[in-house]
Amino acid sequence: MIRAALCSALLATGAILVSSIGAAQVRAPLLAPQTPPHASPQVQPQRPLQPGYSAAALYNLANAYAKSGKPGFAVLNYERARLLEPNDPDINANLRHVRQSSGLPPQSRSRFDRLTGYASPSVLAWIGVLGLLAAGVGALAQRRYPRHRVKLIAGAVIGFFALGITIASGVALWPIMHEAVVVVHSAPVRVSPVPIGDALFELPEGTIVSAGVEHDGFVLVRTSAGRAGWVPDTNVAAIVPRTAAKP
Amino acid sequence: MRARFPHRWAISAIAACVFAAGPSQAAAPSIDATIEPAQIALGDSAKLTILTSGSGTISLQLPMVAGLEFRVVGQSRQIQSVNGITIESTSTVIRVTPETAGIFTIPGITPRSPPLVLRVNPGGSSPSPNNSTPDVLPFIPGPNAKGLRMTPDGSAFVHLEIPKHEMYVGETVPVEIQVGMRDGFVASLNGLPKLNSSDFTLNNLSRQPERAAKAIDGKPFTVYTWRSLLGAVKPGTFSLTFETPLTVRIRTRPRQDSLLDDLLGDPFLQNIFGTTVQKDITAASPEAAMTVVPLPAQGRPADFGGAVGSFKISTDISTAKTTAGDPLILRMHVTGAGNFDRVDSRMLSGDGQWKTYEPKSSFNSPDPTGHRGEKIFEQPLIAAQPGTHTIPALHFSYFDPSTRRYETAHSAPLTVAVSPAASSAGNEPPPAAAAAGAPADEAHTGLRPDHAVADARVDSLIPLYFQPRFLAIPTALGLLLCGAWAASRRMERNAQGERERVRLALIRNLLETMSLAAARGDAAEFINSATSALRQTLSARWQISPEQITIHDIDARLEGSEREDIYQIFALADEANYSGGDLQAADFERWTQIVRRQLASEVPS
Repeated sequence: MIRAALCSALLATGAILVSSIGAAQVRAPLLAPQTPPHASPQVQPQRPLQPGYSAAALYNLANAYAKSGKPGFAVLNYERARLLEPNDPDINANLRHVRQSSGLPPQSRSRFDRLTGYASPSVLAWIGVLGLLAAGVGALAQRRYPRHRVKLIAGAVIGFFALGITIASGVALWPIMHEAVVVVHSAPVRVSPVPIGDALFELPEGTIVSAGVEHDGFVLVRTSAGRAGWVPDTNVAAIVPRTAAKP
Repeated sequence: MRARFPHRWAISAIAACVFAAGPSQAAAPSIDATIEPAQIALGDSAKLTILTSGSGTISLQLPMVAGLEFRVVGQSRQIQSVNGITIESTSTVIRVTPETAGIFTIPGITPRSPPLVLRVNPGGSSPSPNNSTPDVLPFIPGPNAKGLRMTPDGSAFVHLEIPKHEMYVGETVPVEIQVGMRDGFVASLNGLPKLNSSDFTLNNLSRQPERAAKAIDGKPFTVYTWRSLLGAVKPGTFSLTFETPLTVRIRTRPRQDSLLDDLLGDPFLQNIFGTTVQKDITAASPEAAMTVVPLPAQGRPADFGGAVGSFKISTDISTAKTTAGDPLILRMHVTGAGNFDRVDSRMLSGDGQWKTYEPKSSFNSPDPTGHRGEKIFEQPLIAAQPGTHTIPALHFSYFDPSTRRYETAHSAPLTVAVSPAASSAGNEPPPAAAAAGAPADEAHTGLRPDHAVADARVDSLIPLYFQPRFLAIPTALGLLLCGAWAASRRMERNAQGERERVRLALIRNLLETMSLAAARGDAAEFINSATSALRQTLSARWQISPEQITIHDIDARLEGSEREDIYQIFALADEANYSGGDLQAADFERWTQIVRRQLASEVPS
């Protein structure tokens, strides 16, 4: 019975994996053109874009923004592309170049670089699932098959390790889920979400901030230096949009 | 010479406690006497504190000084035991009230103690600054003396030090906010000083106030001082106050109860006898009138950005020799005092000679409020053409409140020698990017080229493991594994139960065989059945197979009468196997009872 349960678990996971990959491949041609958020007319690509996100398309879009003197949108799209392809040297090089050209301080995302530099979050997600499966099967089967106990324990340990890597990657990526990029030349940061009074300070274009609650057209942001305040929500764009890309 | 001692009974009682020290096991007692403040005005009192520490009997006498009245107002006693040695310390507070002005010398409390000096100024005259003790505030008569406005119970005050009462819009003025709390009367400070005016802003309030002990009107106060910058928002005539929330101890006994009131006049004693209650109050400073003048529109420079104060500028450059295309840094230093948050400059504008970038600024200030300091602007420049170029003088406009007019500070022009770039020298090798065949994008903009776009796309940038659809997979897998684990446990329990049932049935069969063998008088079968039944029971108890149980296991693992009985049966079985046993009818009965007794817990008769 245990053997049957384990086999069914393996089959179910495999079926889900295959169907997910297949769905992604089949779905792509059906998607309608993408409209890049905040894209200005002069940097619209010539051919119609498809909906959804691809690292190459985001990278090319960021290059277009960088060439047209919009470092904010360039940084935004480089960051988005890097989410999908963290190992791409071109993305990292151009992001570093744009930040340097804009006078922005170099990024120090050591945890992100270390943990997600090995593989993309999608790959790590499936590694985590396989790790969970290996850990569970190893832990269950070692009592049933004492002759293979050492091998099964080793498999379980490897599974737990893979699961741990995935969880660590999630922990490292979680802050990016709430980060936004300043996309205007200078974003005034105010002490309260009202457009009166002097600004506390100004955020230069391309700055990455941590975005918090929103109120009446303003969003509460916090810089890496710990300074906080309200900026108009039109001045920043989230690195990870909350909604899926739509035609 | 005259010394008055009212309430002698109280003095005697307290003095008896003070001067009758406990048994001496340690060092000789020491005495320390201090008087605070050392300088008072006539009509005020000073506090003489006598601190005795150590053990042993001390012979003390209150000092007697002509023109001074001594009154014991409080006493505390503390006993510590360290490594078996008891150390006592007693603090006696004596109020010293002068009757005339002058300089009084209070003799030492003990022959070895140094004398104390109390300076009493005539009433209403403050001591000269040169003679004043640094931590003593001079006394100025009147309820609002020197701007101090006490709370109704005299326990606290808030005082605002403003250097000027006329300022311009946008100007910042350094201010000091002092909160004085009378020792023993104020239980806690419940918040920072707060500005009660929407016409001004308070910037850079120091996080940690300076703390000082001061005597005001002869009473000990602890004064906290915050420093900040007061900024004017709009023109007009305004008044501003600061207030601070406090918790004070309020005396609940009526003042008419003079005897106890005098005796318990010290906050320490009041707290001991429970004659005070705590109450939250707000201490406020006196209103300060401020006139805010608008900045004049006439003569305002075009580049004026709102800086008000007194500033100077200077410029320098990272290198005086560079290569065309290489960046260099132009720095502008703005030093002085004023509202540095409004000090800004676009620095150099791009022209044909120089390609300019947005300047960055940093601010360094030795002043915690940021009123004085240096703001440095750094601007990257790139020379387009070789040759000797001049960076023009920079200018910075501000409004100076002292001269009441706009000023423009200028820096000196700088000269930079720019040599030709290597790529334009003709005989130099081409740039690495071009040699490597990099596309024009990289060569001209520093960007790496575009990528070929594949068709594979994802719907969302949210990482897969944060998407609820994906999270269903590990969740289902986890549930499946939990279910498999629960099923395996259940199967194990069922198999164990089945084995137990088989074992019990086997034991019953063996017992029946024993009975039949006893009836037939078959000793060999009887003993074999008995040992088999016992092996089944012991194997379940020891978790080993029945065949592995030997007479040595019986001897080693069992104890008492149980071991004796079972050991005898197993020994009998060995004997029967080798020599053929022979049992009488009474023996069958006895061994049957023994075996049934051993199996009684599993197979009830």
